[in-house]
Amino acid sequence: MEEEDEEARALLAGGPDEADRGAPAAPGALPALCDPSRLVHRLLVLLLMCFLGFGSYFCYDNPAALQTQVKRDMQVNTTKFMLLYAWYSWSNVVLCFFGGFLIDRVFGIRWGTIIFSCFVCIGQVVFALGGIFNAFWLMEFGRFVFGIGGESLAVAQNTYAVSWFKGKELNLVFGLQLSMARIGSTVNMNLMGWLYSKIEALLGSAGHTTLGITLMIGGVTCILSLICALALAYLDQRAERILHKEQGKTGEVIKLTDVKDFSLPLWLIFIICVCYYVAVFPFIGLGKVFFTEKFGFSSQAASAINSVVYVISAPMSPVFGLLVDKTGKNIIWVLCAVAATLVSHMMLAFTMWNPWIAMCLLGLSYSLLACALWPMVAFVVPEHQLGTAHGFMQSIQNLGLAIISIIAGMILDSRGYLFLEVFFIACVSLSLLSVVLLYLVNRAQGGNLNYSARQREEIKFSHTE
Amino acid sequence: EKTRQLSLEVIPNWLGPLQNLLHIRAVGTNSTLHYVWSSLGPLAVVMVATNTPHSTLSVNWSRLLSPEPDGGLMVLPKDSIQFSSALVFTRLLEFDSTNVSNTAAKPPGRPYPPYSLADFSWNNITDSLPATLSATFQGHPMNDPTRTFANGSLAFRVQAFSRSSRPAQPPRLLHTADTCQLEVALVGASPRGNHSLFGLEVATLGQGPDCPSMQEQHSIDDEYAPAVFQLDQLLWGSLPAGFAQWRPVAYSQKPGGRESALPCQASPLHPALAYSLPQSPIVRAFFGSQNNFCAFNLTFGASTGPGYWDQHYLSWNAPGCGLPSSGRLVPTSPGHHGSALGAPGLMLLGGGLVLLLHHRKYSEYQSIN
Repeated sequence: MEEEDEEARALLAGGPDEADRGAPAAPGALPALCDPSRLVHRLLVLLLMCFLGFGSYFCYDNPAALQTQVKRDMQVNTTKFMLLYAWYSWSNVVLCFFGGFLIDRVFGIRWGTIIFSCFVCIGQVVFALGGIFNAFWLMEFGRFVFGIGGESLAVAQNTYAVSWFKGKELNLVFGLQLSMARIGSTVNMNLMGWLYSKIEALLGSAGHTTLGITLMIGGVTCILSLICALALAYLDQRAERILHKEQGKTGEVIKLTDVKDFSLPLWLIFIICVCYYVAVFPFIGLGKVFFTEKFGFSSQAASAINSVVYVISAPMSPVFGLLVDKTGKNIIWVLCAVAATLVSHMMLAFTMWNPWIAMCLLGLSYSLLACALWPMVAFVVPEHQLGTAHGFMQSIQNLGLAIISIIAGMILDSRGYLFLEVFFIACVSLSLLSVVLLYLVNRAQGGNLNYSARQREEIKFSHTE
Repeated sequence: EKTRQLSLEVIPNWLGPLQNLLHIRAVGTNSTLHYVWSSLGPLAVVMVATNTPHSTLSVNWSRLLSPEPDGGLMVLPKDSIQFSSALVFTRLLEFDSTNVSNTAAKPPGRPYPPYSLADFSWNNITDSLPATLSATFQGHPMNDPTRTFANGSLAFRVQAFSRSSRPAQPPRLLHTADTCQLEVALVGASPRGNHSLFGLEVATLGQGPDCPSMQEQHSIDDEYAPAVFQLDQLLWGSLPAGFAQWRPVAYSQKPGGRESALPCQASPLHPALAYSLPQSPIVRAFFGSQNNFCAFNLTFGASTGPGYWDQHYLSWNAPGCGLPSSGRLVPTSPGHHGSALGAPGLMLLGGGLVLLLHHRKYSEYQSIN
C-alpha cells in the first residue's frame, strides 16, 4: 500500500511537470525500493529484465512443445512444420546486424525495447490467429514477425543489463537472464501440451481452433513481457532523471566491410558455432516424437526429456562460465564440449540406452560450449570490430538454423530419425574437425586462444608494464 | 535362399462355381515353399515348407467344396513337409472411438457388429493377375442392407518375390525370396460413425496346446518407415519356424507418408474356439478338423490423429509372411552405422596423428634453440 503511494507520488512528481527537472525529489527521502541508487531497486529492475525475455523464449519453442498437435491440426508434414522455425531465423539473418544500430541510433533503448516487445506480441497473436483460421501461411508470417522482435529484444535486454549493472553485478545478471530464458523454454515444453489437452476437453474436440486458442493463451506471456518493457522504460527514465544516468547504448558499431579483415581463426569459430548449433536446436525442435516413438515415452515424459538441455543449462551456465574463466584453455573446453555432444548424438542414434543419459550429456556440453566458444571471439578480433563479428556470428548461425531446419524436416519425412541423427553427427563431426583445425592454426600462428588463465594474466601484466 | 523360381498359378475349378484358389510355388535349390491363398470362406493362406525342390500341391475340388473337406488339399510327398501353418482373416471389425480419450484402451471404442469375411463375395482373381507376381482379392459383403460397401471394397493384395527387394511404398520392409507380402486396403466403404476405427480379426493355428508367440522387436533403424522403430512379429514355435512380421503402422492416404501414418495395435493372441470363428475350408482341408485356433485383433488408428475418416482409405502391410529356410528379416542397415561411427573416429585418429607429428617437430626446434 505504502509502495503504491510512493509510486503515485513519484508519478506526480515526474509525470506532469517535466519542466521541473532541476529539482528532483531528494534521493534520500525515497524508500529503498523506489530509490534507483539502492540495491533493492536494482533487484526490482533485474526482475523486470528477466521477465522481459521470458515471453519470447516461452513462445519461441511453442512449435516444439506442440509438434504432433500442429502437424495433425494443420495437416502439414515435418518439412513444413520446420518452416515455423526457419521463418524465425530468416528475419534474424538480417536483423542481427541492425538490432544494435536501431537501439543506438533510431529508437533509443526504451522505445526500442517497447517496439521489439510489440513485434513479439503481434507475431505470437498472428501465429495463433493462423491456427484459429486454419491458415498455415498466416502462422509462418506470425513466426516471421515474432522473429523480428525476438533476437533484437535479447540485444535490448543485454543493453539494459549493462546500463544498470555495469561494474556491479553484471556477470551474475547475464547468467540470471540466460537462466530465465532457459526456464521460459522449459516451462513452455512442459506446459503447452497440458494446456492443449485442457482446451481440447473444454471445446470437446481437437482441431485447429484448439491449437489457435492454446497459442493465444501462450501469448499472454508476451503481454507480460510487454508490460515489463513499459515498466522498465518508465523506471529507466525515472532513474535518468534522479541519477542523471545516461540512456544505455549497445555501443555496437557494425561495419560490413570489416568482414574482409576477419582472420582464419575467426572463420573457424564461425564454422564451429554453426555446425554445432544446427545439431542441437533443430534436434530439440523434432525431439518429442523421437522420444515417444523410439523409446516409448509418454507425451509428458517426452516433453520433460526434450527440455532437459535447457534445464541443465540454466544452473550450469554460470558454473561453467566461472570454470572457463579460472582455467582459460578455451579451445580444449570447446573440444570437450563438441566431443561430448558427438557422443551423446551417437548414443541417441545407435543405442536403445536410456536417453536421459545422452540428453544430460548434451545439456552439459551445450552449456560448456556456450561459455567457452563465445568469449573466444573477443580474443581474435580487435575491439572496434567486435560488434561486427558478433553480429556476423549470430547472423550466420541463424542462416544455418533456417536452412538446416528445413533440411532436417525433409530428411525426417523421407528417411527417418536414424538418418537424421547420422546427419546431425556429420554436422558435429565437421564442428569437431574445425576445432582441431583451430587448435593447429592457433598453435602455428602462436595465437592466444589456448592460453591458461595464468598466461593471460602474465601477458596482461607485461603489456601494462 | 537368395533367389527362387516363382510361379503363380490359379487353380481352376472346372466342374463347379467360380472359386479363387491361388498357388504360389517358390522353388529353391533344395526346398520348395508353397503358399495357397483362397477366398473360399474367409480369406486364408496355407503356408507349407518342404525340403525338396520337387514337392507338389494336389487339390481335390469336389472334396474341398464338400461339407467335410478334410484331405482336399495336400502337399506331396507328405514326409518332405518341414513346417506348415495358416492364417485366416476372419472378420473386419469397426469401433466407434468418439469419447475415447485413452488411446491405449482395449477395445478402442464401442464395437459395431463386425463384417464376417466368410460372407463376402470376391472378384475373380484371374482378372487381376498380371505378370508382376501379384494377385488381388477384392471383396464386399454379399448382404449389405445399409449399403456401406456400395462404393467400397476390402482388398487383399498378395505379392511374391523372386529375390530380395524393397518396395517403393512405405513401410518398405525388406523382402526376400522366402517371404510374400500382403497388403490390405479398405477403400471407399462408409464408416458407421464419424470416428470409426477399423480392425481385422486374424486367426491362426496353434502349435499343440500353445498359441504362437507375438513379439515386439525394437530397432534403432527407422530409415524405411520414418519414426516407426518397432517391428511386430508372430512366431510359430522355435526355429526353424514360420513367421509373419509387420511394422505397426497403417496409412490413411495413398501413397502413405508420415503425415498419414496411423498406429496399428495388435492384441495378444488368445486361444479361440473353432466354432466361434468363420471356418476356412482350405485350412480344414489341409490340416483336418482337429485343430486348435488362436486369434488376435489388429486395430488401425487411434481416436485422435489421422484416420479412415479423412479419405475413406486405409492400407496396412504385412510384408513378411515367411517360411523356415529364410533367416529373420534384418531391418537394420549396418552401412550407415559404419560411416557414422567411422568418420569421426577416423577424424579423431587423423587429428591425433597430426598433433603428435606436429608436437615432435615443435620439440625438435626447441632442442636446436
